[in-house]
Amino acid sequence: MFEIIIAWRHITASPRMVLFPVLAVALAVMVIAAMMGLMESYREEIVSSTVENSPYLTVEPKEGEDYIHLYKTLSSVIWGYPGVEAVSPRLLGMAAAKYREQVKGVSIIGIDPLLEDPLLGVQSDLVWGDFNDLAFKKHSAIVGAKLASDLKLKPGDGFYLIRKGVSLKLTPAGYIRTGTGADESLVYLPLETAQRLMGEGDVVSEIGVRTSDLYEGPAIASGLSRDSFYKAQSWQDKSRNLLNLLDTQRFFTYLFYLLIFVISGFGVVNTMIMTISRRTREIGILMAIGANRGSIIKIFMAESLILGPPSAALGCLLAYVAAKLIEAFPIEIPAEVYAASRMSILLSPEIFAYAVAFAIMVDLAAGLYPAYKASRMDPVEAIASA
Amino acid sequence: MNIIVAKKLRKVFGNGVELLALDDVNLTILEGEFLSITGPSGSGKSTLLNMLGLLDKPSGGEIWLKGREVSQSSSLERSQLRNKELGFIFQYHHLLPEFTALENVMIPQLIAGADKKAARHRSEELLREMGLVERLNHKPSELSGGQSQRVAVARALANRPSIVIGDEPTGNLDTKSSEMVYELLRKLNREIKQTFILVTHDMNMAQKTDRILRLVDGRIVSEMRRENGGFVECL
Repeated sequence: MFEIIIAWRHITASPRMVLFPVLAVALAVMVIAAMMGLMESYREEIVSSTVENSPYLTVEPKEGEDYIHLYKTLSSVIWGYPGVEAVSPRLLGMAAAKYREQVKGVSIIGIDPLLEDPLLGVQSDLVWGDFNDLAFKKHSAIVGAKLASDLKLKPGDGFYLIRKGVSLKLTPAGYIRTGTGADESLVYLPLETAQRLMGEGDVVSEIGVRTSDLYEGPAIASGLSRDSFYKAQSWQDKSRNLLNLLDTQRFFTYLFYLLIFVISGFGVVNTMIMTISRRTREIGILMAIGANRGSIIKIFMAESLILGPPSAALGCLLAYVAAKLIEAFPIEIPAEVYAASRMSILLSPEIFAYAVAFAIMVDLAAGLYPAYKASRMDPVEAIASA
Repeated sequence: MNIIVAKKLRKVFGNGVELLALDDVNLTILEGEFLSITGPSGSGKSTLLNMLGLLDKPSGGEIWLKGREVSQSSSLERSQLRNKELGFIFQYHHLLPEFTALENVMIPQLIAGADKKAARHRSEELLREMGLVERLNHKPSELSGGQSQRVAVARALANRPSIVIGDEPTGNLDTKSSEMVYELLRKLNREIKQTFILVTHDMNMAQKTDRILRLVDGRIVSEMRRENGGFVECL
């Protein structure tokens, strides 16, 4: 393939000429790889924080009822489904937390800690205390770390939970930090204590279920809804809006990638056109000695494509450095807004593969027009050009 | 044997205001001929050469190359004919600047699909004949004008073409180098019966060829053929 020999010689003869298109594409590759890494990490964090902080599957009361009464029976039915790893009846409600002069609205969750911990792994989120204490200390609570800080609550201090005239004095048994907005309102209570506070008797609001496979939830949910009159929802059903939002965000990110593609492509086109006008006479000579139009296209396409691998390699290297910097200097973001507490980046091998494909695609697309233009030159005019 | 026959060859340039560059030119060139085309600037010499060299298409008429009508051949076919049947030598050597003398001679062979090793061998042989054996790996910028033009001659001969076309091949050389290039072409003409068609302003050079065509305003106005050591008018 003499075309590749000529293209390679052109490139090596003018390294400065190719430096800018290589840099332009490398920067584009870096931005895209880093963006993809950030988006992927954000998506993963959102999914994992959603999954970590809520059950994979939730069984809710029958139509027209506010609570599940026969929750112990229903729990044993749920245990009968294959792949079920944890089942935890939960009573949810709203209350006011009062400590000295501070009052805050809170979300309470009444649970049996021995059942809830296998469901959500609460203990691992505690920054202080022991989740299992709730099993033995009826007047204790696990309090959201931000809530405790807002109330200026210290370990060992008593605080009050108040709801519809019922007031209970509780002692913090631990502080929890999930990294989400729940940290400023969450209070875990022993189930019996929560039932006393709610005043609805021996009932729960929902039964949380964990399955061995994250994506088995929808199948079990539809089985439960069909076999019983209880409403079962998987985390995917509950987070539909969030997942749709992430998909919309992904769509706009792709548009952004397309813009970067076009802008970096113009850089390459510009250089290729300059190269071709500089080599007009040479193109004429090649035609005179027998190179056909296809060969001229191949020469300049090869010239453009040769720029792909170094651009991709440099871009990937820059993206890797950017990722390391982002990891080394954590950037905090408001968890209430972004549902994640810090910016993180996840550069998987697929991202690098996409980045390499991107660089090659840019160079391929950008080389087409200049190469075609070169091949349409009139050899007589090309040779006579100054 | 006729190697090139041009019949009523016409070339009109321009849109709107038209310029008749070639006006019904009839020409027959025999195999092994050493022919020159002369004439004042703008007389149509280079245009005729571009037509015969299949670099440009005529507006009318026919060109027969080795018994085949080629004036309206496809772009691909013309490329193949230029590569295999024709060799070009330009006024400025027009060597590819990034390639060595050896590589410049190899390229037409590689275009023709020759094996790299065979192309290298043939190129070394040609450059040796041109007296450039010590300049094989020099780039055009490291060669003198005469040396570059000899590399261009080697390149033109690389694929053993039927015809070598030269557009003022010595026009940019000093007298000594011109003489050296002329002697080289003449030697090839005598030894391997290579057909040469040269366009030249230089009457001294033209008078060393076997036939001189004079073009004025796109028409052949005179034709002189070498006979018994002199030239006789035959048009």
